[in-house]
Amino acid sequence: MSALIEFEQVCKFYQMGDTVVRAADHISMKIEKGEFVAIVGQSGSGKSTCMNIIGCLDVPTAGTYRLNGRDVGKMDRNELARVRNEMLGFIFQQYNLMPRLNLMENVEVPLIYARVPRVQRRTRAKEVLEQVGLGDKLKNKPNQLSGGQQQRVSIARALVRNPQIILADEPTGALDSHTGREVLSMLQELNRQGHTVVLITHDNSIALEAPRIIRLEDGKIVYDGDSHAPEAMRIHSAQGGDAVCL
Amino acid sequence: MPVTETFSLAIKNIWSNKLRTILTMLGIIIGVTAVIVIVGLGTGMTNSVRESFASMGINSMTVSVWGRGTSRNATVDDFYRIVEENPVWLEAASPEIYMNGTVKVATESYNYTNVKGVNEEYLGMKSCRVAQGRGIQYMDIQENKNVCVIGAYLARIAFNGNAVGETIKVGANKFRIVGVLAPKVEQEDMQEGSEDDCVYVPYSTAMRLSAMSIPNSYVVTMTDENYATQAKAALEEGLYAIYNDENAYYVYSMSEQLEVMNETISMVIIVLTLIASISLLVGGIGIMNIMLVSVTERTREIGIRKALGAREGAILLQFVMEAATTSALGGVLGIVMGYILAAAINKIMPLIMEVDSYVTPTIGSVVVAFGISVGIGVFFGYLPARRAARLNPIDALRYD
Repeated sequence: MSALIEFEQVCKFYQMGDTVVRAADHISMKIEKGEFVAIVGQSGSGKSTCMNIIGCLDVPTAGTYRLNGRDVGKMDRNELARVRNEMLGFIFQQYNLMPRLNLMENVEVPLIYARVPRVQRRTRAKEVLEQVGLGDKLKNKPNQLSGGQQQRVSIARALVRNPQIILADEPTGALDSHTGREVLSMLQELNRQGHTVVLITHDNSIALEAPRIIRLEDGKIVYDGDSHAPEAMRIHSAQGGDAVCL
Repeated sequence: MPVTETFSLAIKNIWSNKLRTILTMLGIIIGVTAVIVIVGLGTGMTNSVRESFASMGINSMTVSVWGRGTSRNATVDDFYRIVEENPVWLEAASPEIYMNGTVKVATESYNYTNVKGVNEEYLGMKSCRVAQGRGIQYMDIQENKNVCVIGAYLARIAFNGNAVGETIKVGANKFRIVGVLAPKVEQEDMQEGSEDDCVYVPYSTAMRLSAMSIPNSYVVTMTDENYATQAKAALEEGLYAIYNDENAYYVYSMSEQLEVMNETISMVIIVLTLIASISLLVGGIGIMNIMLVSVTERTREIGIRKALGAREGAILLQFVMEAATTSALGGVLGIVMGYILAAAINKIMPLIMEVDSYVTPTIGSVVVAFGISVGIGVFFGYLPARRAARLNPIDALRYD
């Protein structure tokens, strides 16, 4: 049985002017089903590229990415869209809710693309919104909610298709520390329910919430393992040389 | 994404940008309004021409004969024979001799009144109904009687409705009125100089009084107005057999003239419609422009939708649907405006000038206008929609 997420020498190179940016430089790693992994790195470390590839929003320049045993690089754009819809739930830093739609409609969007009939769509959307504690605000527009509430809507939307993987990109970045904690504990709860959670962050204290850390620097993995091991927080190539931040 | 969801999403997006949508639709609205009114105008004109021709007898031909000096001339009986020989196309024939001389009743002159010498079939051929007394009869013609049948206008104005048995003067000749025809023109103030302002006398009497040896003009009716070409050909063939000269006679067919008139009107309408269509084209470009802006504005939304599993086809459909809905909405408003404008023109024009044609919008033009506006939306929405569909989801998500 192969891993749920499997990177094999994955590379992503961009041409930027005259220089080639190595956003992902021969990354190999595996994430098993049911894991809670934090991918950590500073900006430019390649963590966003990593998340795009995991999320099937982008395909590697070289190397292989297998999702549930299937080679994503061999999928056409429609298949990628289907995989995003079925297997992946995205949570973004900026929530990325649609301002003109109310909460129900926002949460329904993935179900519409999955061609779920209207009645089932309504029922399911209501169910997940209740699950995140917003069952009383179904008809509200996102801008009537606080940041924390909006992020809960986006969690509901990520959950609505009951995907195997929850991909959270800096989910606490726009929140105060208290609501940030709440969101994190929701992610932990989802992980306990069986979802594989991949958390992308630059913040070490957030990353510590995950049992496993994959640390990226310059497109390479510099640490992959237990988040509480002493090496987990070591930054290798930062300007100040070795440093530990907690 | 199912079509119904896409449609309600399009409505939602259009509704949340009301002012912009209306400005975008303006070109389509104006274009469709113009097309509806212009086509309506054409239909009105065609109808009016048709009516005026029909009142003159759309199924009849007028034949002028000049003869050729010494050689044989076509007689009344020759005409009857030609009609009898072509029963499929031709129905009946009558001489139609215009008499000179002013119509006088007592001391009053009626300068616009026509006096025609006709046979016993003529009134039937022209669908005239005898309201009082009788029509022209065979014996009147045989005996060159000085009798006449008069139109409703003359009977009303000159005799106060009781004309039968009275006497009328045409030039120096007296005629006894034996019948009065039912009015053909409904409005009484329009009857003067019309078909109702007429005196019919036996053609033999008219010929005698005008010192004519043969009638110089005939009316020949055809069995069906659609046979105009064949009827005219049959008649001309018969006349050619007598004269051996195409210049000795002339056959004038009403429906042929009507056809020519209709063709002219159609040409004018087509040209005007094409000009109005420029507005539709401009409207379409306006839609494309605003859709391109909309795609740029909603780049992030497109990115989110793609991340949530929207296929390119779904995004494409969404934007094409939005453009088509905008355009179709403009089309509907244009149709409504067209009808309102047509009604307004029909109300106002008669106050300014005398008109006998009205703007008559047709269902056909409504259907075509609606179809074209949807088509414009799809056509001009496609390019922006394709741009949206092809956006790279990562770039789209990062877009601010």
